[in-house]
Amino acid sequence: MNFITIDKKDWTTGIDKSRETYQVFGPVQDENGCQIKPLAPDVHPLMDAGVTVMSPKSVLFPQTQKMLTATLDASIEDHHVMKPVKKDDTPRVVLGIRPYDARAILLVKLNFDNPDYQDPYWCEAYAATTFVGLGVNHPGPCDFSTSTGCGPFSEEGLDVLMADLDDRYLAKILTEKGETWAGACGFDTRADAAESQSLFDILRKEAEKNITSVDTDQLSEKSILDLYEAPFWDDVAFSCINCGTCTFVCPTCWCFDIQDETKHKTAVRFRNWDTCMSPLFTHHASGHNPRGSKVQRVRQRFMHKLKYFVDKYDQGIMCVGCGRCVASCPVNIDIREVCTIMNNYESK
Amino acid sequence: MMGNLLEHMGVERDRLHFSWISSAEATKFVDVVKEISDKVRALDTDKKFAKDYTK
Amino acid sequence: MDTCIEKIRTICADLLAKGKVQKVIGFAEGSIPMASRPIAVTSKEDVAKLVFNATCGLNLANYVSDVLPKEGKIAVTAKGCDSRNLVTHMVENQVSRDQLYIIGVPCTGMVDKRKIAALFEDEITDFIEDGDTLTIVSPQKKEKVSKKDVLRHNCRVCTHRNPVVFDVMAAEPVEEQSLDQPFADVDHIAAMDPAARWAHFQELTKNCIRCYACRNACPLCYCPTCFVDESSPQWVGKGQDKTDINTFHFLRAFHCAGRCTDCGACVEACPMGINVRDFTRKLNKDALELFGWEAGLDMEKRPPLDVYSPDDPNDFIK
Repeated sequence: MNFITIDKKDWTTGIDKSRETYQVFGPVQDENGCQIKPLAPDVHPLMDAGVTVMSPKSVLFPQTQKMLTATLDASIEDHHVMKPVKKDDTPRVVLGIRPYDARAILLVKLNFDNPDYQDPYWCEAYAATTFVGLGVNHPGPCDFSTSTGCGPFSEEGLDVLMADLDDRYLAKILTEKGETWAGACGFDTRADAAESQSLFDILRKEAEKNITSVDTDQLSEKSILDLYEAPFWDDVAFSCINCGTCTFVCPTCWCFDIQDETKHKTAVRFRNWDTCMSPLFTHHASGHNPRGSKVQRVRQRFMHKLKYFVDKYDQGIMCVGCGRCVASCPVNIDIREVCTIMNNYESK
Repeated sequence: MMGNLLEHMGVERDRLHFSWISSAEATKFVDVVKEISDKVRALDTDKKFAKDYTK
Repeated sequence: MDTCIEKIRTICADLLAKGKVQKVIGFAEGSIPMASRPIAVTSKEDVAKLVFNATCGLNLANYVSDVLPKEGKIAVTAKGCDSRNLVTHMVENQVSRDQLYIIGVPCTGMVDKRKIAALFEDEITDFIEDGDTLTIVSPQKKEKVSKKDVLRHNCRVCTHRNPVVFDVMAAEPVEEQSLDQPFADVDHIAAMDPAARWAHFQELTKNCIRCYACRNACPLCYCPTCFVDESSPQWVGKGQDKTDINTFHFLRAFHCAGRCTDCGACVEACPMGINVRDFTRKLNKDALELFGWEAGLDMEKRPPLDVYSPDDPNDFIK
């Protein structure tokens, strides 16, 4: 494993150099908070940003994505035939992605890239993207990433993991993609591997001290039906207003809805993020809604993340502990509390 | 109030029109529609609420 | 304001013990600093969970109609704005007065959590409220601020801090504010030229993720199916096109015309920090100037957009 050291004085020069090869994404701040966005040529990533309001899942899975188009002009031979739109498969790099968000991408990958089905839009974007992560030196109060198979310096899903050492970044190159990115930036000052690794370990241990832990060990043992029929859901759901905030800020929520729109002679098929918090999510054409009540929808979200996913994939919970839903929920529904209730639940 | 809010948002008030027309007043209906169409067409330099699918 | 919580708890324990109400809707302590959560308390043992502080910025009138029992009453703790929305609910026949037991809570305002967060570079780990003094702690520093300086904008311009309808008050009424320029924010936008106004609202909503938290936190939005969720016909596209975002915000606001109490729950709920009150405030100003109307003050009067009056000030019908 290679380690390189990057003097912060050289950082912006290197990033600017890499723009010849990569479209650069990174955290930027505006009056509405911090988000990971494509950076304009004169903008540099705000590397010391805290948790971004939105997760970087939109880099691979935009909230609204055009999939197919057709012409409705009957004078054209292939009218009404849906055709794929041209996809942007140019190399891109996401700077300052946090380890929990990198793990989230691997969880989302289970849905979009598996033996049964490969989503062309997501897979091509994934193949084109390099993830340059930054370890979390100071985890916030909502962070519980150590309980989700992840952690402040987890390497999973990353191509490079960096550590912020005040005047410099120490970068651990994890993949070939990462090596290529470092090359494109001209970052090539090698650091001693053993020494660097021990620095990473110290930072990791220091950061982990500040992270609250949540037990998830009993979830797989519980019976689905017991949890489903448990009496606590009414209390959990009472305050919920059924907005989609938790699912939209979540790095692992992957559900989408497909919509067709037409204007004049053009037809377009989009997909948009959807949310299980909305009654429309399960509204049948017949008018029946199998999840017609708020309690059912709230239960679905937690059961999916903390039980159905656990049972189906055997990869732990469908949550990386970033804490965004906890921080953004208007009514303070806290997944850590719900997870604890579920994990400890004994049916009578 | 709706006109005021539209104007407050920077949308031209002439895009909104209310009329009271009886089903027997066919000519008034035609006149009003013509008048509105002309007014809106005159404003049509700026497609604020028009989607662009080419993007 | 937190001194009244003991009285609230006593009142609630008594109501539940005597079976006068089936549940009490109030606020409970949140799991993170500067948070509170709406809660329904059904036993007097759970009354201790109730809190009332400067983070209780949501509007509890929003929770009432979901949990109304077939018989009997529910109690709800109500700030000035919550009580006005309860009145609006009654005027619009969503709930009747005899189904409610209203515990009035005089209010000196709720804090703007984003404004407080902006005072810190790192994340807030503790928030202690002692009268007007707030002590806010992060790993880097500890800051004492006056609540007055970090109030939400709607609380700074609120002229109905005391509940307008109640069965019991949890504290003595507080002094109402009088304002020289109650709509300075609206006037500021109105002074711009049309292109700048359009640009202002485009910039305002550019980060909207259409989670509809603003709509769902609003006690006025109780339609069984919202226009944005209708599919036959579909009134508005569901994607992130600016046109659809504009349509949603504009129509959401207009559906609040003459009904909005400026409780600020929409802004409180927005995960993206969008001041959606920029839309509704204009309507509130017009309702006041054209009709002398403020929503939720009178159970006998019909709202201005609900009635026809021969002296209607509008000349819009041509």
